[in-house]
Amino acid sequence: MMETFAALGGGFAVALQPQNMMLAFLGCIIGTAIGVLPGIGPLNAIALLLPFCLALRLPPESALILLAAVYYGSGYGGRITAILLNMPGEPSAVLTTLDGHPLAKQGRGGAALAISGIGSFVGATISVVLMTFLSVPLARVAVAFSPADYVALIAFALSLLGAVGGGSAPKAWAAGCLGILLAMVGIDSGTGVERFTGGSMELLGGLDFTVLAIGLFAIGEILLLIETRIRAQAAKIGGGQRLAFREIVFCIPAMFRATGIGFVIGVLPGAGASVASALSYTAEKRINESNGKFGQGDMRGVAAPETADNAAQIGNLVPMLSLGIPGSGTTAVLLGALLMYNITPGPLLFEQRPDVAWGLIASMYIGNCMLLLLNLPLVGVFARLLTVPAWVLYPGVLALSFAGVYAASNSAFDLLLAIGFGVMGWLFRKLDVPLVPIVLGFVLGRMLEDNLRRAMSLSDGDVMALLGSPVSILLWVMTAAAILWPLLPRRRP
Amino acid sequence: MTADRVLGLVLIAFAALALWSAQSLVVAFAADPLGPRAFPSTVALIMGGCGAMLLIPRGAGFAWPERMASPPLLIVVMAGYALLLVPLGFLVATVLLASAVALLFGARPLPALLTGIITSAALWALFDRLLDLPLPQGVIQGFFGA
Repeated sequence: MMETFAALGGGFAVALQPQNMMLAFLGCIIGTAIGVLPGIGPLNAIALLLPFCLALRLPPESALILLAAVYYGSGYGGRITAILLNMPGEPSAVLTTLDGHPLAKQGRGGAALAISGIGSFVGATISVVLMTFLSVPLARVAVAFSPADYVALIAFALSLLGAVGGGSAPKAWAAGCLGILLAMVGIDSGTGVERFTGGSMELLGGLDFTVLAIGLFAIGEILLLIETRIRAQAAKIGGGQRLAFREIVFCIPAMFRATGIGFVIGVLPGAGASVASALSYTAEKRINESNGKFGQGDMRGVAAPETADNAAQIGNLVPMLSLGIPGSGTTAVLLGALLMYNITPGPLLFEQRPDVAWGLIASMYIGNCMLLLLNLPLVGVFARLLTVPAWVLYPGVLALSFAGVYAASNSAFDLLLAIGFGVMGWLFRKLDVPLVPIVLGFVLGRMLEDNLRRAMSLSDGDVMALLGSPVSILLWVMTAAAILWPLLPRRRP
Repeated sequence: MTADRVLGLVLIAFAALALWSAQSLVVAFAADPLGPRAFPSTVALIMGGCGAMLLIPRGAGFAWPERMASPPLLIVVMAGYALLLVPLGFLVATVLLASAVALLFGARPLPALLTGIITSAALWALFDRLLDLPLPQGVIQGFFGA
């Protein structure tokens, strides 16, 4: 306990440095803004910022503080679009539209925005506290993991993609495999052999993570957006009755329940903020069946999904930091960012780079306070972003994507690669192939092969060694369950 | 032939290509028991299997774009940008790119050109001046001093 406080204190010493405070603040503003804008999510925003961090030689802890602030800041922004436009700015804000938009139509949009902002803060802050105390014990358990155990853990994380994605499981797994294969392009670090380069000199060093992420998510998204005319009419924040203190008190039990649901869902690999906000909304609706007016503008119906959304986002960071296994697309990008700094998140991170791990955790306490202060009075400013026409916004995003890719690599070849991945991402989205497994596979693929190689060296090539410990057997059983579950025929309602 | 089946076939073809390419990987001396071949082959086989699973059920049809011409045009514009960035320089190429994309998003010509100029100048100021990340100067080399 005491050592946790001491470590957290050390983290605050990092997070309170002026440069890091500025970066956290900048990240909070960018995060809220991209949360508001439909079509730009935390994943592509972080992918876009990553080349800046590298080119500016930001130290890893500063880069992570900035990128993570964008990540959890986006959870505050998604609700604004959901409430005012009835259109979620982020997928996880879908449930917020159900009660948020009716409230806005009743002229209480301001109150709905305020309660969801407070909910986001409560969910995120309690989750950061839980993360402070859980990360190190979890990392201690994982220190004892052998390479074979890690192989099983990564296989489990990848197999879960099919079970929780909601779409077609074979598509999710195929996308994961594709990500792993893409990670193998270039010289194999274990044997020095060239793989999948097609003789190209440019591909010898492997594919750059930022090129893949910007291509798939930023360029692919713009190709998708250009297909349809965007028609959206922003509702007014409304001059109706402001949020009363008793309404906040009224929502507190719902916020606590939503935090619990969100954090647990977030820590589990594979399931993300969308699942958490949906579950907590349904739970509140069930619990308050007698006295609720859910669907017509119940404050708790706004507070619960937003709280769970932010709690799950923070929860997602726990396995990323302590195990080195990201549970969602955006945390995979954050992990990719750390890998580009030659820092491997995982059990040893807290001992080897406490400045990075604890600096990040401490900065999240500060960042969430900043976000609350930013979001309560300035919500109108962020809402005005919605009036920027698409033909101003997206050319800028596209040009920024290209400038970022070029600045990171100084190669026009990488621009072509990014466009290629953009076309791939666009076609995959149209075919309902999820893109997140590609990024997860790309990040986890190298770890999977490295650990497999280590396990095989230790056992002299005996494949049965992969089942050598109780932990690995348990994880393989869970993997098998995660693979079989979506394949079982089930009755359609 | 549904979209899912086409996707399944493409995945199988890609997996076969990866598998075939992986078989040619050999190391002279066996430094480690895994080698460079086993892991990619396994992954390619799993991907092919997933592709095969997509051949079985019927899927929904492909959702054709509302504005059919826009995505291919955008791809052409982007590819042109990638090829012209270095010869033309960032400022010129980005004005062309951003204006063209604004037109594709439905802007009228004059606002589109303005968007292009402002986007290009703002990004150049941000990257080249503020952040000191050099971008290609191209045809206007020397125009702004070193």
